[in-house]
Amino acid sequence: MSEEGLLGRIYKDGEVIVKEGTQSRTMYVIQSGQVKVVKSEGETETILATLGEGDIFGEMSLFDAKPRSATVKAVGEARVLAIDHENFLKRIKMDPSLAFRTIKQMSQRIRDLNSRLSFALGTVNQAHNTLSQLKETEDITVKGMETKLGSILDNVSQIQQELLKLKVAVSSHE
Amino acid sequence: MPGAKDLTLPDGARVAVIGGGPAGSFFSLFASKLAQDLGRRLEITVYDRKTFVNQGPAGCNMCAGVVSESMVQSLALEGINLPPSVVQRGIESYYFHTQEGSVQIKSPRLQQRGIAATYRGGGPKGSVGKDIQSFDEFLLQKAIAHGARIERTVVDDIRLEEDKPRLYSGGKLLQDCDLLVGAFGVNARTAQKFEELGIGYKAPPTIRATQSEIELGKDWVANKFGHSVHIFLLRLPGIEFAGVTPKGDYVTVSILGKEPNIEDVKAFLAHPAMKKMLPPDFKIPEKFCHCFPKINVGAAQKPFANRIVIIGDASSARLYKDGIGSAYMTSKSAAQAALLYGVGEEDFREHYLPVCKTLNRDNLFGQFLFYVNDLISSISPLSRGYFRMIQWEQEDSQGDTHHSDILWDMFTGSRFYKDIFIRTLSPWPLMRWLGATVSSSLGVGVPSRH
Repeated sequence: MSEEGLLGRIYKDGEVIVKEGTQSRTMYVIQSGQVKVVKSEGETETILATLGEGDIFGEMSLFDAKPRSATVKAVGEARVLAIDHENFLKRIKMDPSLAFRTIKQMSQRIRDLNSRLSFALGTVNQAHNTLSQLKETEDITVKGMETKLGSILDNVSQIQQELLKLKVAVSSHE
Repeated sequence: MPGAKDLTLPDGARVAVIGGGPAGSFFSLFASKLAQDLGRRLEITVYDRKTFVNQGPAGCNMCAGVVSESMVQSLALEGINLPPSVVQRGIESYYFHTQEGSVQIKSPRLQQRGIAATYRGGGPKGSVGKDIQSFDEFLLQKAIAHGARIERTVVDDIRLEEDKPRLYSGGKLLQDCDLLVGAFGVNARTAQKFEELGIGYKAPPTIRATQSEIELGKDWVANKFGHSVHIFLLRLPGIEFAGVTPKGDYVTVSILGKEPNIEDVKAFLAHPAMKKMLPPDFKIPEKFCHCFPKINVGAAQKPFANRIVIIGDASSARLYKDGIGSAYMTSKSAAQAALLYGVGEEDFREHYLPVCKTLNRDNLFGQFLFYVNDLISSISPLSRGYFRMIQWEQEDSQGDTHHSDILWDMFTGSRFYKDIFIRTLSPWPLMRWLGATVSSSLGVGVPSRH
């Protein structure tokens, strides 16, 4: 690929494009390659999404001016075009439909998140059901044992009473 | 007005677009996408005799082919990423060459190659084997991918018959139109056909420019011109300004002035400021790809009627800059008006004309700004002061780049002219410029902004 005709900026593998917690209102459109959206907690990095050519990211901070909610890094070499937020907001005022594709992508992301959340909830519910069944099974086992123990105890009592009777009998004979 | 209630685009409506340049392609794209969103289908046919894969003027809509920063971003947001085969050079800065010297201005907001230098056609005559994909062809293919049909036919007659426009070629009926879209630019005789329809349309006023493709070789172009467009403000007689845009093996030399001709091109190439950018053994070739396109410098009158709308350069365009951006704005507005409201004259008046008026009003500010620029360039002390102001701003990477930003936005077409005009009225930068003018006349340093 000829280098002369490349638009935007090239990021190397692993290079940070957007850093979680920083203040910036620039939005980006991926021209080529891929990026990953990650959240870090200590040493642990969780990949929230992988985005490719044509995808938009960084749009949340453009609209709400809050710090970045995640870090975005290049996966392999990625070429990314930055969108000037001031001009974008001015253009939307003139032509609101310019935001449609951005809104569509955000909408698709909400659908994906709903789907993943639904799947996660389903998994949690399933785990809960399994644990409940397991608990019930253990309860029956315990109750069974209780019954058995009860009858053993009854037998033991009977044996105890017989033994007492026997003792008395033995004593009376002494 | 017969059948006023019928002036909408029903499912299966037949739309004819005369002109396969950016305006025609954008209209086709936006109309077909919006129709799809509305659950409708349109039969869109684009008529253009040119194939943009041809080299030279025959396959070209004759323009410098620079896609502005804001337009590149708008296209990306629309899902149209310009590929490297279309972008001959990614531009990240502008060089301004004046009698006082040269200064580079980088994009003030984003550090990236944000401007695209493209070929509108298949490339300069003789550019066989070079990796060139036409920008116009790229957009047209996008429109075709969304369902538009291309007809390589000359529409030589348009008639209003039975309330609908009808297109003819060689006396043969091509089609009835539920909507006829004029996207014929300013370089075709088609404007006259629309004027003769009696709908009140009058083509916009134009001036002539020149576009020349000079082959210098890829390495020389890369080393000498880099990723910059070079603007020359040299006070050459008959030349308002000259722009040189690097593209692969070539540079595109664009000259704007009072009826520039080939001798003006040669005079410019021989000027010392340009000559130092050329190879030492460079000789102006006997033959080189060149054309004299018309440039829209005003507004068309009444670019709409029942079932007719005229867009792009044939209607309203930004003054001197961002022609592709103007095509985008007018075509999108026309498509939205037609699909969301209707194709009646009143629908276009209410929902399409405002965008044209916005461009026309903004151009008034543009005229003023370029007039002031010409004035400054022609008066040495003012020009010297302004040049030193820009130089100082560019040297101080952390500081305010007020004047540089104004020049950048004016010459790249990145902002509306009204926006730029308002910024020129800021008092402190004006005073700094005045101070720079006085001090450069006295031969002392530029006053600090602190």
